[in-house]
Amino acid sequence: MSEKPKLAVYWGASCGGCEIALLDLHEKLLDLDAAMDFVFCPCLLDSKKKDLEAFSDGSIAVTLFNGALRTEENVEMAHLLRRKSKLLVAFGSCATGGGVPALANFTSREALLTTIYRDNPSVDNPQGIIPQYSTAVAEGMLLLTPLLARVKHLAREVAVDYFVPGCPPEPHQIWRVIETLLSGELPSAGSTIGCGELTVCDECQRTKEEKRITAFRRNYEFYPEPTVCLLEQGLLCMGIATRSGCGAPCTTANMPCTGCYGAPDGEDDQGAKMVAALGSVMDIGDTAHLSEDAIAEKVAAFLESIPDYAGQFYKYTLARSLLGGRAGR
Amino acid sequence: MKIGIYFCNCGSSIADKISVEAVIEASRTFPDQPYVTTVDFICSEVGQAQFVASLTTEQPDRVVVAACSPRDHEATFRRCLAQGGMNPYLLQMVNIREQIAWVIEEPLRATEKAISALRGAVYRVRLQEPLEKKQLEASMAVLVIGAGPAGMKAALSLAEAGRSVVLVERSPFIGGLPVLFDELFPTLECAPCMLEPLMGELLHGDYAEKIELLTLAELWRVTGYYGNFTAIIKKKPRHVDLHECIGCGECVEACPAKTGNCFNNNASERKAVDFAFTGVLPNVPFLMEEVCLRSVGEDCRACKDACPLGEGVIDLAEAEVTLERNIGSIIIATGAGLYEASQVTGMGMGALPDVYDALQFERLLSSTGPTGGKITTSSGSVPARVAIIHCVGSLDKDHCSYCSGICCQYAFKFNHAISTKYPETIITHYYRELIAPGKEAHFLLHGALNRQNSIFTRYARIGDIAVTRHGAGYLEVSLQGVTTAADMVILCPALVPAQGTDKLAALLDVTCDSAGFYGELHSRMDASRSTLKGISLAGACQEPMDIQKAIIEGMAAVGHTLAGLQPGRLIDIDPVTAEVESKRCAGCHLCSSVCPYHAISFDGEQHISQVNGLLCRGCGTCVTACPAGAITGNHFSNAQILAELEGLLK
Repeated sequence: MSEKPKLAVYWGASCGGCEIALLDLHEKLLDLDAAMDFVFCPCLLDSKKKDLEAFSDGSIAVTLFNGALRTEENVEMAHLLRRKSKLLVAFGSCATGGGVPALANFTSREALLTTIYRDNPSVDNPQGIIPQYSTAVAEGMLLLTPLLARVKHLAREVAVDYFVPGCPPEPHQIWRVIETLLSGELPSAGSTIGCGELTVCDECQRTKEEKRITAFRRNYEFYPEPTVCLLEQGLLCMGIATRSGCGAPCTTANMPCTGCYGAPDGEDDQGAKMVAALGSVMDIGDTAHLSEDAIAEKVAAFLESIPDYAGQFYKYTLARSLLGGRAGR
Repeated sequence: MKIGIYFCNCGSSIADKISVEAVIEASRTFPDQPYVTTVDFICSEVGQAQFVASLTTEQPDRVVVAACSPRDHEATFRRCLAQGGMNPYLLQMVNIREQIAWVIEEPLRATEKAISALRGAVYRVRLQEPLEKKQLEASMAVLVIGAGPAGMKAALSLAEAGRSVVLVERSPFIGGLPVLFDELFPTLECAPCMLEPLMGELLHGDYAEKIELLTLAELWRVTGYYGNFTAIIKKKPRHVDLHECIGCGECVEACPAKTGNCFNNNASERKAVDFAFTGVLPNVPFLMEEVCLRSVGEDCRACKDACPLGEGVIDLAEAEVTLERNIGSIIIATGAGLYEASQVTGMGMGALPDVYDALQFERLLSSTGPTGGKITTSSGSVPARVAIIHCVGSLDKDHCSYCSGICCQYAFKFNHAISTKYPETIITHYYRELIAPGKEAHFLLHGALNRQNSIFTRYARIGDIAVTRHGAGYLEVSLQGVTTAADMVILCPALVPAQGTDKLAALLDVTCDSAGFYGELHSRMDASRSTLKGISLAGACQEPMDIQKAIIEGMAAVGHTLAGLQPGRLIDIDPVTAEVESKRCAGCHLCSSVCPYHAISFDGEQHISQVNGLLCRGCGTCVTACPAGAITGNHFSNAQILAELEGLLK
């Protein structure tokens, strides 16, 4: 019996949702097991770093790497997996664009730690103890992996063969990716796979017409009309600036798209595309008789209805964007 | 790819600051290693000939010209490329004169910046693609909106030049506001008499056949583009044929239904079928459906039976019609109106008797008005004390922040008219500022100032003045504790754009300024052109002005129209337009909302947007707005712009 190609799944700074999505393959997992030898996955298998180190370089056929790079350990593992793998796939939003962890790039490491361990209202830490990279205890030194100055996406650190977007990637797309990678007919290197080529609007069944948005609204404020474009109803639906392929489950469930499949094909900066698009259809009313100051006030009031620019427009792609966050500069 | 850089010395203008040797040296590191040729004055005849000759010999694939602003000579050099056998859009210009040589003192730094800019241009030009201009036939017909002095003058002059004109007028008559007046400043000429030759020519002159006059008509929609607009016009029923009727008035005599005449402040009566006022042109009555007895179900046909010309003149069943006209260009001449004086508190407008705004008082003065020109108070007596309040709502940030420029002059005219009839009447002018510009206005100013019974009182804020009524009797004007009795108060409000200006602007997609007047292409250099190509502005719709200036503006608009479109000359359609890449469009409809030129339509079958290259002006709004990146701006593609940036920053 010839040896099955080896599969590794690893997580950097991630929530575990990508592994859950893999398990959501359900009975297809049996087909996966028949086709591949699942050799390394700390989340699902009892596999250790030393097991990985024992493989010869390039001996793992495919590694699905999810999560962003937050710590030096993440970086070390990224390099190790790169070395051991024929194909390294950035899997899920965090690995492709930095994801939610990358929103921390708006703040420094120090501020991050003091917020989490000392200042958050729910924290009870009267001595104000902040974790240290090294701590002396009776038994010796305790070491923690240092945080990087900035959260990175995988491709910023190592060469990535393919990108699979999604938070998490949809199971039917995961299966397509596995089939494609096993088929031997590989897509061109560096391409984004397991997705569509248009935007979510293509898959969203709601009726769309000309857009003139007079105010942004949030989900808790009203029950959206189920057949009309959510953006036209004032919800900040990211579908117009988000790559297709998910099948639009969120808008089908009357929730606006949050943009997890990232920038559309050929575009680099999802947030910038979204902001440019919204800027073109925000209707602040008649400005003919207003001074520039009065117009600026109206625009500012309109923008007040967006509570969190970065979280809205760069929820999944900040690390990869032109903007990139400002911490450490 | 062979790239040629043509470096213009511009005499010493460029050469003194930027070292061409350093540029040549640096160009060896540029992609495709362009050749560099220097020319002394590339825009001169000799320079252009050298340029074309070099292009013919070298046959480059792309050309960069490092010289002046593209605003100066991009068109020149594009023509040179065409002469040299190249597509003109394979040129990229770098402005090394205004943006570098003229603004940077230090030659080393200037040279460094020039090299960066040139590197950017070389990176960009490699991605530029040949584009082809399209040519189209244009309609020579012109739509003129508004038949006041400016519109009439424009329409008649265009007709004299052989153009077909569609003249759309919302009211039942022509002549605009001044035809309702008696005498005009500054020379006290009789208004209808002064306008009559123009109106007569327009209706019955040698070129009248070229003018299609549509009264009671309004523009409803415009599609298309400069050279080929389609105007949809809604024409309300007049019920009396404009051409068959001879204006004998028999129908008016016979009509049993009466109402107030809105053209006479509702102070006189009119019949359901009647003239707007005596002497109106066209001299044809119009029927007010809502007053006619037929509107309450009666089968009255008194007017039709009375008409001596027979059945064909009055059409009681006439309905609103929608007309479609193809035209090449448009002139807006919709005029102005008065600021609603009741908006200014303390003036008593609309609340107190004998308080008139200027237009109402003009009708009182007019021999065709409600009193036949007699100035009397509401109780029928001669007003012994008249107050004229200037600057009502003018120069006032709470109302209209500008000075209308004509009110002082007509206020002095009112002074003259009143004092001619009643020399004993005391006239008090309350004013904030007094102006009398030009070579003629001073006659009336001095007339008023020198008159024994004229009093001039200056106020600081309009809020300092209060017009009240003493019991049930005379009026009182109080200013800072001083109360003066008056039998009549005349208000001179600011001039504002005519009602519906904003609606028409939206319909035509032209801009309005902060005061609501149509925005000019340039307030000094192109004040009679709107922001949209092929649409000119004439008269007080552009800013407050008198008849003289309105007539001149009418002619200016004619000039633009005749210069722009000429018989036999095709119009060029610029190929710098946007294009939708159909396989990347997800049909979100975002772009169609943003196009200022209605150039984007939606293909319902394929579920994609499409750009009409004839309507597109290449502004790039949709390119930026498209969240899918499915729209490319020809000649300004993302790839070209990013390549230029990359070259600049290298």
